[in-house]
Amino acid sequence: MIVAYLKSMARRFLSRAQTEREMQEELQSHVQLRADALEHGGLERAEAERRARIEFGSHVRFKEECREAMGGNAIDQAIQDVRFSLRSLRKSPGFSLVAVITLALGIGATVATFSVVNTVLLRPFAFSQPEKLLWIYSQRSDNARTNFSLPEYCDYRDQATSFEGLAGVASFNPGFADSGPPERVQGVRMSASAFAMLAVRPLLGRTLIAEDDRNGARAVVLISYGLWSRRYARDPTVIGRPVNLNGETREIVGVLPPGFALPNLDTEIVVPLQPDADPRRNVRNSVNFLRMVGRLKPDVTARQAHAELEAIRQNLQRQYPGIYTGKIGLTLIPLTEEIVANIKSVLLTIFCAAGAVLLVGCVNLAGISLSRAAARQRELAVRTALGATRGQLTRLLLTESFVLALVGGSLGVLVELWSQRALLRLVPTDLPRIESFSIDWTVLLFAGALIFIAAVACGLAPAWLLSRSDLRDALVSSGRASTGGGLQSRLRTWLVSGQIALALVLLANAGLLLRSFVRLSSEQPGFDPFGVQTIRFSLPQTGYPDVAAIAQFYDQLHSRASAINGIKSDALISILPLAPRSSSFVHFTRPDRPPSRPEETPSTNYRIVTPEYFRTIGILLLEGRNFSESDDAEHPPVAIVSTIVAKNNFPDRSPIGQRILVDDTEGDPRPVEIIGIVGPVKQTNLETPAKADIYLPLQQVPKDGVQWLRNSAYWVVKTSGGATGLERLLRDAIQNVDPSVAVGAVRPMSEAVATALAARRFSLLLVGSFAAAALFLAAAGLYGVISYGIQQRNREIGVRLALGATRGMILGMIFKEGAVLLASGIIAGFAMALVLAKLIASQMYGVNEHDPFSFAVVGLILSVISLAACAIAARRAMNIDPIVSLRCE
Amino acid sequence: MNEEAELLPGTLDLLILKAVSLGPLHGYAVLSRIEQISGQRLFVEQGALYPALFRLVRQGLLKTEWGKSENNRRAKFYELTAKGRKRLQEETDWWKRASAAVTTALAARPQQA
Repeated sequence: MIVAYLKSMARRFLSRAQTEREMQEELQSHVQLRADALEHGGLERAEAERRARIEFGSHVRFKEECREAMGGNAIDQAIQDVRFSLRSLRKSPGFSLVAVITLALGIGATVATFSVVNTVLLRPFAFSQPEKLLWIYSQRSDNARTNFSLPEYCDYRDQATSFEGLAGVASFNPGFADSGPPERVQGVRMSASAFAMLAVRPLLGRTLIAEDDRNGARAVVLISYGLWSRRYARDPTVIGRPVNLNGETREIVGVLPPGFALPNLDTEIVVPLQPDADPRRNVRNSVNFLRMVGRLKPDVTARQAHAELEAIRQNLQRQYPGIYTGKIGLTLIPLTEEIVANIKSVLLTIFCAAGAVLLVGCVNLAGISLSRAAARQRELAVRTALGATRGQLTRLLLTESFVLALVGGSLGVLVELWSQRALLRLVPTDLPRIESFSIDWTVLLFAGALIFIAAVACGLAPAWLLSRSDLRDALVSSGRASTGGGLQSRLRTWLVSGQIALALVLLANAGLLLRSFVRLSSEQPGFDPFGVQTIRFSLPQTGYPDVAAIAQFYDQLHSRASAINGIKSDALISILPLAPRSSSFVHFTRPDRPPSRPEETPSTNYRIVTPEYFRTIGILLLEGRNFSESDDAEHPPVAIVSTIVAKNNFPDRSPIGQRILVDDTEGDPRPVEIIGIVGPVKQTNLETPAKADIYLPLQQVPKDGVQWLRNSAYWVVKTSGGATGLERLLRDAIQNVDPSVAVGAVRPMSEAVATALAARRFSLLLVGSFAAAALFLAAAGLYGVISYGIQQRNREIGVRLALGATRGMILGMIFKEGAVLLASGIIAGFAMALVLAKLIASQMYGVNEHDPFSFAVVGLILSVISLAACAIAARRAMNIDPIVSLRCE
Repeated sequence: MNEEAELLPGTLDLLILKAVSLGPLHGYAVLSRIEQISGQRLFVEQGALYPALFRLVRQGLLKTEWGKSENNRRAKFYELTAKGRKRLQEETDWWKRASAAVTTALAARPQQA
């Protein structure tokens, strides 16, 4: 129906020239025929034709009426309107420029943030029916998101009936070597059947198939879209190429699609889990390293599935008493929710802030257009007198704002297209799925919708005003503001209050984010990042069978490091502080105070270090002694704990010299003597309070830890700062000791601190600049409405001055007006901000989302700036000369 | 007494349809035909004719074709479509009913009220 209408309109539009010709011809034919008739009646030919033409009247009007009757000239009219608005906009270049810039910035910013929201939150995930997918953690009393052991996973997999499949996923960060330089990559080991269950289609080649999990299957690996782009420049011939992962040769069989992501795990590479080939398959007490992902059967709810898994868990606990201590349940979360969990509210806040700035900008323009419409009332009245209908005038005003919005919006989108690289540099790099960022049709469609909305928002108020005011009055009342004036200034007043309210909401939000940021930045991470460089590395599988070999590797490294100028000390550690994606912890007990129930067995972060670690990274030794070279396999096992352990587990005495039982082997817990206490360290991120830590010396690591250390460890060096070319020297040092070691990035520890703040810095930066923009626009709006009011009341002010009002009284009058506007805006803004506060509650740190201090400060800032705008506007009123203003009528 | 009746609003379309129903006509001939069939009592303004013709074409009641007039001039001829014929019938019925009703009303005498 609509299509047919559009088609016929388009046809008419396209055959326009022909229609015009025909109309002309028909008209001529008519005149000729009439002339024939008149001639027949006895007139001279020339006279007959003249008479016929006179009788017929104006050709132009005739054509105009015929065109109208024919319909379908909407396009002609639109073109005419656009031409006309371009002409009238050219006549007021100042307004047009301000409008275009405001809209370009507003639309540009909103579209830019939308493009990120689109990539991260809106784009379909690479899984089909993602709402049926659940991500499953083991729940402990102190942490809802911990891992399962391999036999535990296999039991759930084999016993659960609620799922079409349950896959195990573990992080896997091997050295990656092919013909290029070796590097460390971050990936996962995953049940091969997972891909069929997730219904992921490969970008190239194939995904994993159940076959790949079989014992003795060909060793294969999938690579991510990101790795494929970065390391192989999207070369389609990578399929079938051999690569070396931790010394094992695997064949690349597929490239994953760009949108593939898993919660809190990087997926640069994916290798099959091969559970049956794993030596831990039947070791009940083995390490917990797996998370699970499952697809619910069509008629099963998440609640039912949870209940079933819980029943299995309780069975396992009965079956293997003492093995699953500390595990108190399971945590099931929809997969896609867990992927974007941390970032969703941040992104939405930024997006809403951008939208709010656009709204404030539109309201500003609506205000200016209102004044313009009022000033143009006479022009519009003349047009009405000449026969323009009210509908045509409304259309004209709307067309004007459409033209502005289209120009501004296109400019904004162009800037966004042009600056997308800069945008990507701005966003935190750990944003899930950001590697697939692109500006797609959804974004462009959104931009189009935004332009439309902005145009209506800017143009509607003046158009509405026009429909309410009596234009004939304007013509009669000699050009002075007429009846429409009251309505229009009331409308403007409302608009300005709205702007102030919105600006306050944004400012309050920015203020809260700023306070949270400041609180968090001042948090002590527990170490001193100054001059500390870190390198992650993996040792090859061969040549390092035991701890002694690793210790020897480090000894050689250490002697090379000592030779490098500017290195003060160096050490190894298994996991660095502020590593949000790595965790390792153990359970321990005090033999003299066994826990009353197994679930209450305390746990602590578990770190393996060399003696110099504490000095290198600046963790203070508070009591007891440090590890020494003699704390080796020949001597009794020792440990250093953090003050948190001392506080939680030794409230009664000093832990120094105490023995605890540490459960870090596949066998029974082993006794370890505590020899020192160090300060607490934030191991995950700055927000999470420091938890208990236990450190063990490298030389005393049980055999079970060797594989783990070989796969991933960090070399930490403390420099005197400002050393240049250090990265090269450090890499060379490792390569010189053993060229087959895969070396990751050299990263200053200060960068880890910066990364821990990155997401907040990002949102603070954006929301802050949006708030500043909104503040500026609101102040400009207030200035506009006040100075317009003064202009309108020029005469009144003149009379008042002539009658003896002092300038102070006039000033008071103007300020009172401004203050009323400001107060109503601020009250509305506070109300909105309080209601919206709970949306950003999750982003607060150390600050209540209703923090009265922040609210008071932003209210004050807004008031001061608004009143300053009032004052500037009022200065103009002060310059009114009563005589001039009274005479100028 | 002046025999010319003023055209009632809304009747122009009906008259055009009627005129054209008697055979294809060009614009000028529509005028003449209306004068002729109304016994020289109804006259259509030239300016009003064409917008009405274009409107009827748009509504699909008339179709057009270029041809030669009786005195050999090129002219656009208007012809009734099936839809137009149906409309003419409807409008004619409506007109008859309406005018009969008005006539009856006007013929009313005081004692009958």
